[in-house]
Amino acid sequence: MTASTTGSGRRSHVMTEAEATALVSDGMTVGIGGFINSGHPMSLVRRLIREGRRDLTVVGAASAGLEIDLLIAAGVTTKVITPYVGAEGLAGIGPAFRRAAEAGELDVFELDEAHYYAGLRASAQRVPFNPWRAGLGTSLVEVNPRLKVFDDPIDGLPLVAVPAIEIDVCFLHAATADIYGNVQHEGSAYGDVAISAASETTVVSVERVMPTERIRAAPHRTTIDGADGIVRSPFGAHPYAAEGSYRPDEAHIREYLAAADDWRRTGSRDRLEQYLDEFVRKPQDHVEYLDRIGLRALLGLNEY
Amino acid sequence: MSDTVVAATPKEVMAAVIAHDLRDGEWVEVGANLPVPRAGALLAHLTHGPNMTVMIAMTKAYLRDEPVLEEFEYITDVRAMRWAEAYYRHDQLLSSQRRRARGVFFCGGVQIDRFGNSNLIGTGPDYHRLGFRGPGAIGTTNATAQSGRWHLVTTSHSPRVLVDRVDYVSALGYGRGEPNLRAEVNLRNPGPSSIITPLCVFDFHPETHEARLASVHEAVEVDEVVARTGFAFEVPADVPRTAGPTPHELEVLRTRIDTNGSLA
Repeated sequence: MTASTTGSGRRSHVMTEAEATALVSDGMTVGIGGFINSGHPMSLVRRLIREGRRDLTVVGAASAGLEIDLLIAAGVTTKVITPYVGAEGLAGIGPAFRRAAEAGELDVFELDEAHYYAGLRASAQRVPFNPWRAGLGTSLVEVNPRLKVFDDPIDGLPLVAVPAIEIDVCFLHAATADIYGNVQHEGSAYGDVAISAASETTVVSVERVMPTERIRAAPHRTTIDGADGIVRSPFGAHPYAAEGSYRPDEAHIREYLAAADDWRRTGSRDRLEQYLDEFVRKPQDHVEYLDRIGLRALLGLNEY
Repeated sequence: MSDTVVAATPKEVMAAVIAHDLRDGEWVEVGANLPVPRAGALLAHLTHGPNMTVMIAMTKAYLRDEPVLEEFEYITDVRAMRWAEAYYRHDQLLSSQRRRARGVFFCGGVQIDRFGNSNLIGTGPDYHRLGFRGPGAIGTTNATAQSGRWHLVTTSHSPRVLVDRVDYVSALGYGRGEPNLRAEVNLRNPGPSSIITPLCVFDFHPETHEARLASVHEAVEVDEVVARTGFAFEVPADVPRTAGPTPHELEVLRTRIDTNGSLA
């Protein structure tokens, strides 16, 4: 840890990108926060790829975006738990997700967003499953044998048991935190709090690290009060939006989509590898990545 | 307005059908990148829904005093915050199913079948090697199970979408028409009310649960509907015309809701 301690002995939770990704070993289950085109901890996602992690089970958001597509495209994961991978109007379905699934190379934990939160809740509650009403009579319980139909012991009604989605390490992105792991999102926070609650370890990259006095001035805004790690990461969600800071970089997202869709359509990975080299593997850290994107492009992503 | 009102487009008719169905006090989600249900929900809110709960881009919004409702491309668009009375944390929203009893949901599909089942999983006989991998269930399995009422909506009326039997069921309609299926699997509503398309509206026979032609939109012939539908359906002797937007509704759509022309 780069962490310094204050005179009181209270420990700083601030860590470097490298310290954050060192928490993840091959084969672990990793949660990634945000929602479709917003709020993904991209500096950490890119570093996982750069460092060559393999065989991760990735728990995406309830509606995940192309950060999961990128992890599939880069060969980091062949098992994903998320009810959606796409980019809304930019791409209805993630191209790498689609390619890998159609090739039979991706284990998709087929479920609805309500099941997803039931699974996270079960993990947070340290029980083997949470029940849910919907899903009976659908193909979800047929194609996903990990969802079990059972009769509830109270009323005898048929329900779906969603197994606990247990996450080793989750990476989230938020607006601010102090050095002690008190995190404040702007806006909705999506499902980040539920992902954190289901995780053994929570690391949050933030646009700004604030003095604790600022957190104490508005404690009702604290969304996660005990993040294990805080990573300073201005523009850390780029090319996706960060609520309260910037909008999605549509031009850059389209560049990724063109590269990944080329792989999907032609089977050639040339354009995709070029994208991965240029924006993921060659930049040695987040600052080098931002250099490649350029100040003018970054400053053009104001909210309104 | 001049008296030469340009005729409503098929998507404007669809939006009007949705708006006419919604009642004041109901709860409706306005998803991103779904311009037709968005326009229908907002049209109801602006014309007769002052007490509707409108969820737009992860916020609760009241929009009747807004002159123009900018359309957002992303469900996470921060610009929606200017209207917010509350932000919805997504995990909390999904834990609050009781409110869905007053909710009306609009469900799309890669495939939609004769018995009102929807498929967003994909197509092809082998689930592990799908010919086309769809986006996934998203929230449609649950929303169609818990909402007070729901409709199927597609902007693509073709035999590829409107099929006799979906390859996979991600949102359960009436199964294969079994009499008490939905009650047996513990669902909260009686099933989909209709399928709304750019050509027509189907409803479902109360006993067989098969889709049947309820109305065709202005200038649409029944033969065209038959030719472009992948399942056989009952046609009444006199096929009603769909009630499209009134001149006032059309003006509201074009000047306040859809200034970008997404419904063109």
